Amino acid sequence: MNFMNTILPFLSGLVSFGFAIVILRRYWQRKGLHLLLWGIGMVFYGIGGFCEGYYGAFGWNPLVFRMWYLFGAILVAAWLGQGTVYLLAKKTWAHGMMIILILGSIYGAFKVIGAELDPTLMTTSLHTGSEMSGHAIVTPGVRSLTPFFNLFGTVALVGGAAYSAWIFFKKRVLLHRSIGNILIAVGALLPAFGGTFSRMGFSGALYITEFLGAILIFIGFVRATTPIDENE
Amino acid sequence: MSKNKSPKQSKRQYPPFWEKFIPAAVIIITVIIILLVFITIRVALGMEAFSI
Repeated sequence: MNFMNTILPFLSGLVSFGFAIVILRRYWQRKGLHLLLWGIGMVFYGIGGFCEGYYGAFGWNPLVFRMWYLFGAILVAAWLGQGTVYLLAKKTWAHGMMIILILGSIYGAFKVIGAELDPTLMTTSLHTGSEMSGHAIVTPGVRSLTPFFNLFGTVALVGGAAYSAWIFFKKRVLLHRSIGNILIAVGALLPAFGGTFSRMGFSGALYITEFLGAILIFIGFVRATTPIDENE
Repeated sequence: MSKNKSPKQSKRQYPPFWEKFIPAAVIIITVIIILLVFITIRVALGMEAFSI
């Protein structure tokens, strides 16, 4: 067991679950589907972190692998992004996207659950730097799902946060929301950078950026929801 | 009749640091998203690096 591939992913999981509790409590008090979806997305983020930590501590387990791939690799970004869609888009559009996302998620779940696995193919991923990699999935047509979910999720979550920050900036109102949205956008982008750095040979970069990403998104959310004195 | 002209409504401003930081950050983030979309579409068509 080492810090980088075990403790750090567990910590990411803990931060994500803690954040999910904060968001879901807020949803409970104020309603708003965007909060519910962000809460669910952070639960997925936490599951991904715990599965990576589990693999680092105890090694291969097919159920843990399937959970990691489904929640951590396929669904997390898309469900977080869908929360932003509910916040920014018209209700009819958001509902339409939600139906597509639910159907896609069910399809993805069936594909991942039914996939044939071969852990001997799972060496440290050259692509992500993760100790776990989708190369263990032998069945075709499963790994090809991830870019579609992640593209939608990243554009919606990061793009939505940047767009919100810009709107507040243009009106020069609610500085805390501008700052919070920038932090959320950067936090959501960090894991993508982690994958790139890992490919460049920086070992463990993905786990570090997943951890920092969860913290930044958390801080961004708190910042965006906590007014500050703009005259300071 | 007032001697003074009515004061010109001054545009609201964020503190100086945030006036520069926020637009710069938004531009950088937007450029990164465009790059990510471009790379992901290329990769999805060729199905290589971004599938984990």
